[in-house]
Amino acid sequence: MHTQRGLWLFLVPSGLVLTLVLLYPLGYAIYLSFFNYYLGAGERTFVGLGNYAALLTDERFWSSLGKTFLIVGSAVSLEFVLGLAVAFGLYKLTFGVRTLNLLLFLPHIITPVVAALFLRWVFMGRWGLIDGILISFNIFPPDWLGSPGWARMTAVLADAWQFTPFMILVLYAGLNTVDHSQIESAQMDGAGNWTILTRIMLPALRPLIVFVLAIRTMDAFRFFDSIYVLTAGGPGTATETITLYTYALAFRLLEVGKGSALGVLTLLIVAALVALLILVIYRRERGAF
Amino acid sequence: MRPTQRTQIMLFTALAAFTVLNLTPILWAFMTSIKLPVDAFAVPPKLIFEPTFKFHYEVWVEKEFWRFLINSVIISVATVCVSVPIGTMAAFGLSRMRGTSARSLLFGLLAIRMFPHILLAIPFFVIATFVDLIDTYAAMVLALVAINQPFTIWLMRSFFLDVPRELDEAACIDGCNLWQTFSRVALPIVRPGLWVTSLFSLLLAYNEFLFALVLTGPNTKPLPVAIAEYGGEDINYWSLSAAAAIGIMLPIVAFMMALQRHLVRGIALGAVKG
Amino acid sequence: MLPHLACLLIDRRRATALLAGVAGWLSLPSGAFAADAVQMISHRYPALEFYAERMREALPDVEVNTQLMPHDKAMELANIAMSSKADTVDIVYLNDSTFLSFAKNGWLRPLDDLFEKYKEEFGLDDFTESALDTFRYDGHLYVIPHTINTQLFFYRKDLLDEAGKSPPTNFEEYKALAAEMNSPLRAGTISCLKPVDAGLNEMHWYINGLGGAWFDDDMKPVFNNEAGVNAITMLGEITANAQRGFTSAANDECTIALQQDVAVMGMQWASRAAAMDDPEKSNVVGKIDWVAPPDGHQRVAADGYALSAFSKQDPETLFKIIATSSNEANMREAASMILPPRRSVLNDPELQAANRHYPASLASLEIGQAFPRLPEFYEVGEFITRRVLQAITGEMEVKAALDAAAAETEELLKSRGYYQ
Repeated sequence: MHTQRGLWLFLVPSGLVLTLVLLYPLGYAIYLSFFNYYLGAGERTFVGLGNYAALLTDERFWSSLGKTFLIVGSAVSLEFVLGLAVAFGLYKLTFGVRTLNLLLFLPHIITPVVAALFLRWVFMGRWGLIDGILISFNIFPPDWLGSPGWARMTAVLADAWQFTPFMILVLYAGLNTVDHSQIESAQMDGAGNWTILTRIMLPALRPLIVFVLAIRTMDAFRFFDSIYVLTAGGPGTATETITLYTYALAFRLLEVGKGSALGVLTLLIVAALVALLILVIYRRERGAF
Repeated sequence: MRPTQRTQIMLFTALAAFTVLNLTPILWAFMTSIKLPVDAFAVPPKLIFEPTFKFHYEVWVEKEFWRFLINSVIISVATVCVSVPIGTMAAFGLSRMRGTSARSLLFGLLAIRMFPHILLAIPFFVIATFVDLIDTYAAMVLALVAINQPFTIWLMRSFFLDVPRELDEAACIDGCNLWQTFSRVALPIVRPGLWVTSLFSLLLAYNEFLFALVLTGPNTKPLPVAIAEYGGEDINYWSLSAAAAIGIMLPIVAFMMALQRHLVRGIALGAVKG
Repeated sequence: MLPHLACLLIDRRRATALLAGVAGWLSLPSGAFAADAVQMISHRYPALEFYAERMREALPDVEVNTQLMPHDKAMELANIAMSSKADTVDIVYLNDSTFLSFAKNGWLRPLDDLFEKYKEEFGLDDFTESALDTFRYDGHLYVIPHTINTQLFFYRKDLLDEAGKSPPTNFEEYKALAAEMNSPLRAGTISCLKPVDAGLNEMHWYINGLGGAWFDDDMKPVFNNEAGVNAITMLGEITANAQRGFTSAANDECTIALQQDVAVMGMQWASRAAAMDDPEKSNVVGKIDWVAPPDGHQRVAADGYALSAFSKQDPETLFKIIATSSNEANMREAASMILPPRRSVLNDPELQAANRHYPASLASLEIGQAFPRLPEFYEVGEFITRRVLQAITGEMEVKAALDAAAAETEELLKSRGYYQ
């Protein structure tokens, strides 16, 4: 049996890169979050937890946090449900799977900045694709980017369009690994597709589900381009997420200290969310993670 | 209870319809790229028009975007070549560790992925100027490798967890060290998983925008930055963006087509024992 | 290359060699980024593309690398580079508003000495005094002007003629006309309220045009007074007849709305006028006409190029580059794309005859108004736009929204050392 101690050596190259490249900026950002630091003046004053206190009493922080939860929650759920449905469909399909698989993955490979622009041309009022087609049939659809509810919906759809393919690919592959004998015996007992999916496949895929949900939650919280390009947080503040606020603080106001504090708060919130996710899905058998 | 012919066709139709719906924005962008702006944004949308490839020509030939494509390829391939090997090693180490320390380390790694990237851009720039690496491939590759590590490690770890421990032990009876267990026993088994990890790492590196904007310059600028430079303020720029954006997808599509068999098998193999 | 990756890993020696090789090759200093190439960062629109090209050709033995990108990205890069005192940028694009904070922060090199020295050679006293004055801060000149721009009132002459109407001369008329001309297929007016920059420009016109102001003499915000509330109320009423999705529309979206015949009129930049008559872009060639904005006080802006205080290049070389690109011949050539800040070009009757929008543009310049000369305006614009949009979309009452914006503005300015 090999020694446990030698195993640490395997972490050295990766650990070195992470320490050299990431830990310093990350540590520096955390350090800055305790300062009042306006980039323009170039000098900073220590304010302790002042930035955090200011943010936690800031109505804009809470409202953007709420909207982020709403948008991320809807987007990730939609992606998961849609991804699972399509993956299960592909699993059941006996022909054309490979082609569909490739085509379905395409939206995921577009550069995010550009993907948002593509969607803008589809959702834009009047001369966008959807409006253009519907209005020429004299149907006046809702204002996709201009009414609060629909703008949020569009933001969710934009995220789903780009990231459902990721879910499909991973979940489809996962479904293929589920033990066939179990499925066959269930089929003998007369179980339908729904029962097989929910009773046999999903429990078997729990680790994978945690993986995709956690990764997507983390990324959706951070992602910025599609909302920035599509609605820029509007109409009003309907789609103003926490990254948009971070962007405004760090790049528009150059208030790097407060921006960093917001970044740290985001990190804590997402970490808590992911921990909760792991806890809920694994319930008591926590050791399985 | 074999699915009948009819349900198969219905299933295929439904999935194909979903696929078409998903591809509409891309097709529309492609059509935008081969129309004059007056047709591209016409109301109602024009499906019959005289195609022009002048924007594709302008982007790839006159504006020499092929240079940025080369930069993109260098950066993303180099990132994969560094990130996947070292991430794989770390993943193996973590997968074979007992106790909770590995799990907390893993969670700590993930925390890095949760921090808003826009806040890392400024320190990255400061460090890169300090060590005089602005506008070099190295700065960009290092940053991307680091950003990529959590995902690579987590995904590869799940592949390694699939490799039975008995195999490790069997190998050790023949008197091999840890490195040999890794390279001769575990690695060949998870090889398909490497493809998947490589694909996602490649995608991340290939499409990265923010760090590229800050860390690269005229000599190392990758495609996403070059495209974003035509983000607006003239309608022609949109047509150029569309043409460049269609072009930027092609290498990845080709890569995926070449690897598709490996990919699905790769994911099937791992990622299941989170 | 990739298929071998897995195999490479199996052999430790080959893997180490690969890593070392990749690392070694990548950290080679990339040769072309030599100290002698001048680095320029700029916003991008057609006229600036033209000037960037002229900078690259300005001096035969100096290589100029020009990076042009959307305004927000260019500002991000410039801010990051300048705040860390990096020499990665030598020449930087700035406008009449953004240059103030750069100058205040000490990031720019004053150009007075070079301006005097090269006055003759480049005919620098041909620049309009107002353009030069725009780019002075604390008595020093920081930017060589390249463009002047102002918002014009664009309208569909054919449609208004048909309805027997003439373009509005004040906001009340504009509101009534927008309501009257509005139809399901063609919006009464365009409105471009995308935050931050597009929205702020339009709000500037309403606030000032309707008798309000952003700040008083002590830089205390006053846009929440009665005139301000009336202005934003007016904005809300006029947008009732604006195109779909106006809250996320910037200049491009508005321009397309006019070009594609889905809106009747509205405010847009003079630099967009020529595109209305371009058959490759527009479906309304010859149908659009322009007048000076109703009630005036719309934004007048200017763009130009400044020198970084942290540049290691010879300032004279850099100055010659931006002085060459803005010389008379170049400005004459760019005059169809953008208004020139040189008297000899701006007042040239030939150019005025050749460009259909010039009469309206010149009239607009007379009655326009620049952004407040407050270095922090670019920043507080963020609060203001956000709050005003909350009012426009009904999330808040107008008065409450403006009060909130004023309080936030005051708080930021106080933290930057004002009012002491």
